[in-house]
Amino acid sequence: MASRLGGLASVLVGSGLVLSLGFGAPARGTEADPEGPYGIPREERYLYRPVPAVEVATQQGVVRLDRLWGERPVLLTLVYTRCSGVCYPFVRSLRDAVRRVGGLGRDYRVVVLSFDPEDTVETMAAMARNVGLADRPDWIFGVTAPTSIERLTQAIGYWIRWDPAARQYDHPAVLIGVDRGRVVRFLVGATVEPARLYEVIRELRGEMVGTYPLPRKGVLFRCLQYRPGRGTALDWGFLLLPAPGFAAFGITAFLFWSVRRRRACPVHSPGGP
Amino acid sequence: MLHGEASLAWPTPVLLERGEAVSEAEDVGFRRMTLVWVATVLALVVVLGTLGWLMRLTQGNWLTLRPEWFYSLMTLHGLGMFGTWYIATMAAVTYLLSRYVRPSLSASRFVYGLTLVAVSLFVIATLVGRFSPGWYFLYPLPFYSQGVWKPWATAVFFTFVGLLGVAWLIWEVSLLGAIARRWSLPQALGWDVLFGRRSVSDVPLAVHIATVMLVLHLSALLSAVVLLSLYTLEGIGTGIRNDPLLMKNLVFYFGHVTAEVTTNLSFMVVLELLPRLAGRPPFRVNRMFAAAFNVILVLIAVTYLHHLLMDFAQPFWLRVLGQTASYLIPIPAAVVTIFIVLTLIYGSRIRWTLPAVLLYLGVMGVAIDGIGAAFISSTPALQFLFHNTLVAVAHLHLGFVMGVVLINLGFVFQFVKELSRSEESSWTTWAIPVLLAIGGYGLVLMFSLAGVASVPRRYAIYPEELARGVTMARFAIVPLALLTAGALLYLWELVRRWPHAWAASRLSSSEAASS
Repeated sequence: MASRLGGLASVLVGSGLVLSLGFGAPARGTEADPEGPYGIPREERYLYRPVPAVEVATQQGVVRLDRLWGERPVLLTLVYTRCSGVCYPFVRSLRDAVRRVGGLGRDYRVVVLSFDPEDTVETMAAMARNVGLADRPDWIFGVTAPTSIERLTQAIGYWIRWDPAARQYDHPAVLIGVDRGRVVRFLVGATVEPARLYEVIRELRGEMVGTYPLPRKGVLFRCLQYRPGRGTALDWGFLLLPAPGFAAFGITAFLFWSVRRRRACPVHSPGGP
Repeated sequence: MLHGEASLAWPTPVLLERGEAVSEAEDVGFRRMTLVWVATVLALVVVLGTLGWLMRLTQGNWLTLRPEWFYSLMTLHGLGMFGTWYIATMAAVTYLLSRYVRPSLSASRFVYGLTLVAVSLFVIATLVGRFSPGWYFLYPLPFYSQGVWKPWATAVFFTFVGLLGVAWLIWEVSLLGAIARRWSLPQALGWDVLFGRRSVSDVPLAVHIATVMLVLHLSALLSAVVLLSLYTLEGIGTGIRNDPLLMKNLVFYFGHVTAEVTTNLSFMVVLELLPRLAGRPPFRVNRMFAAAFNVILVLIAVTYLHHLLMDFAQPFWLRVLGQTASYLIPIPAAVVTIFIVLTLIYGSRIRWTLPAVLLYLGVMGVAIDGIGAAFISSTPALQFLFHNTLVAVAHLHLGFVMGVVLINLGFVFQFVKELSRSEESSWTTWAIPVLLAIGGYGLVLMFSLAGVASVPRRYAIYPEELARGVTMARFAIVPLALLTAGALLYLWELVRRWPHAWAASRLSSSEAASS
């Protein structure tokens, strides 16, 4: 018995060593870069971090961000008016999504802030007119000081790079949900899907918004599978949940059956205490 | 049931009478092995308990501990205590079963050696490698260290889990094999009285409970095998990814079932010892016990689902099933815990020795936790308020510290006391339980109050918004000090008797009786 156990121990220690060597391969999420793949800001690094309460100059006057989010949550986005790329389509997309989802003014306000030092209150007002959002009290188009922009972008992991050849800024299109001065959610992408915006707004309301990773390549077993039109359905991986229970009972039944069949070790007396 | 009319004198010894299934030499071997387990467990508890102090002092801002260290210590404390008390309970169960069946002594020794190796790896992974994803290492956190721990620490940790799983598997299969040599599976599971004509079986209740729980835990270990295999496939760089929902189900099945099995096995220790301490005949399996533990077998297997009530992707019917099972399980559990223990003690000639008091308090702790705290954990409306707050930590500490731990301390003290043949003084009989109870319940109360104030768990440093967490952690030092004082007093009483107990463990039952 002891020698068999010794052999088993050798196998286990050997397996452990192999496992240890194998696990040396992956190391994910260890890099300190605030940007994720394709320059997408890494939401997980900035969630619940405080957003600096910078002053925003608008046509109506100067307002501090903390006064805004002191009244109701804020959807914050950073753009610039000379942008020939994503900024205008993004703001229009946000405008349409906000119209679809509703709740503006009641549940939240939108702050569209320029990160370009050359932008002024007037150019931002022109942008508002251009996208059909002029004179809307809950849409705040404004500018702030370059130092404030730097503080803000560092705090929320937003990046801006000047491309001298194109004479344009390279930057991501991001909408940031801010509740009581802290980052609640990032929404990344040039187009704002109403369904995704609705999730951000629900999150800002304090409701729980569940997430479940979309089906991706390389997953061997999944509990559930999503099929458009039919919703979620159980997948094969689900069988791994009851399987250990049935296997344990089967192993025990086999153990009792084989031991009792062999009767290898006679019992001295069936009486017991 | 023969209880009520019995008027037996208090039997001495309670624990050291040898069963007929093992030889004198094996009996001595099991005694020594039990003492070795006890010494190891208590040494681990002293270290792990110290970590608990460090964490609470850090949360109270009375100690500066870097968050990375805090989370390493939290992982070590949580999983360490969880495994340590499972091992302690299994050591007691093995010793008690050796009075009815013939477990393998060499398997027990092998398991001990393997456990030491595994525990060493765990200490290296957490204290050297700073592996710190928390005690249930929820997927995919072990792979995302944010630079806090290296991949080798993850590998060492999973090797530890694998080795410990193998050790426990060998232990449990060897015990089931020993039971199988004497009784059939339907007998051991109580099916002969449940579905047959007999109303009482000749199977001792301890054997019945052990069989049910070992089968159940075997399934938990198999689910850990699946979990570990999936982690390994992803970890070694095959390109295979895992489904977080599946991994969470698997880890909670393993964790929850292990906790429930530990609790029920410690309750088996009570049902084995308390009748003897109360001068009652031992329990046999009757229809009530068979029905209760078979129902518990099924319910435990599905109650883990209440850990996933907040996971919206989990199918709704599974959540309903988990909540229903969680609501049902206190019924058989309460019947066989509170009711049986109270009827056992009522009108008996029990001597309220330190072990008897600890066993009684332990059962009540399990009952309060099972009916109260578990109810909170399995009610969605309350989960919305308390999920991931310190209420969950209160639940864990209530069930373990005031239940499983007290029962195990009762068993250990009775064991050492009998071996050393020395009674405790009357003041220690009451001082130790009073300190442990006030300290333990005080500790749980502070966790609960902090949880009610929405203080989240797993926070090394509380931000300004959670300043109450700091205050509560500071207040918690008072009950923690009382609990520690009780534990130290208990240890002192145990250590004083240890040399005599160790020397006496070498004597056979007949030699011990004549000495």
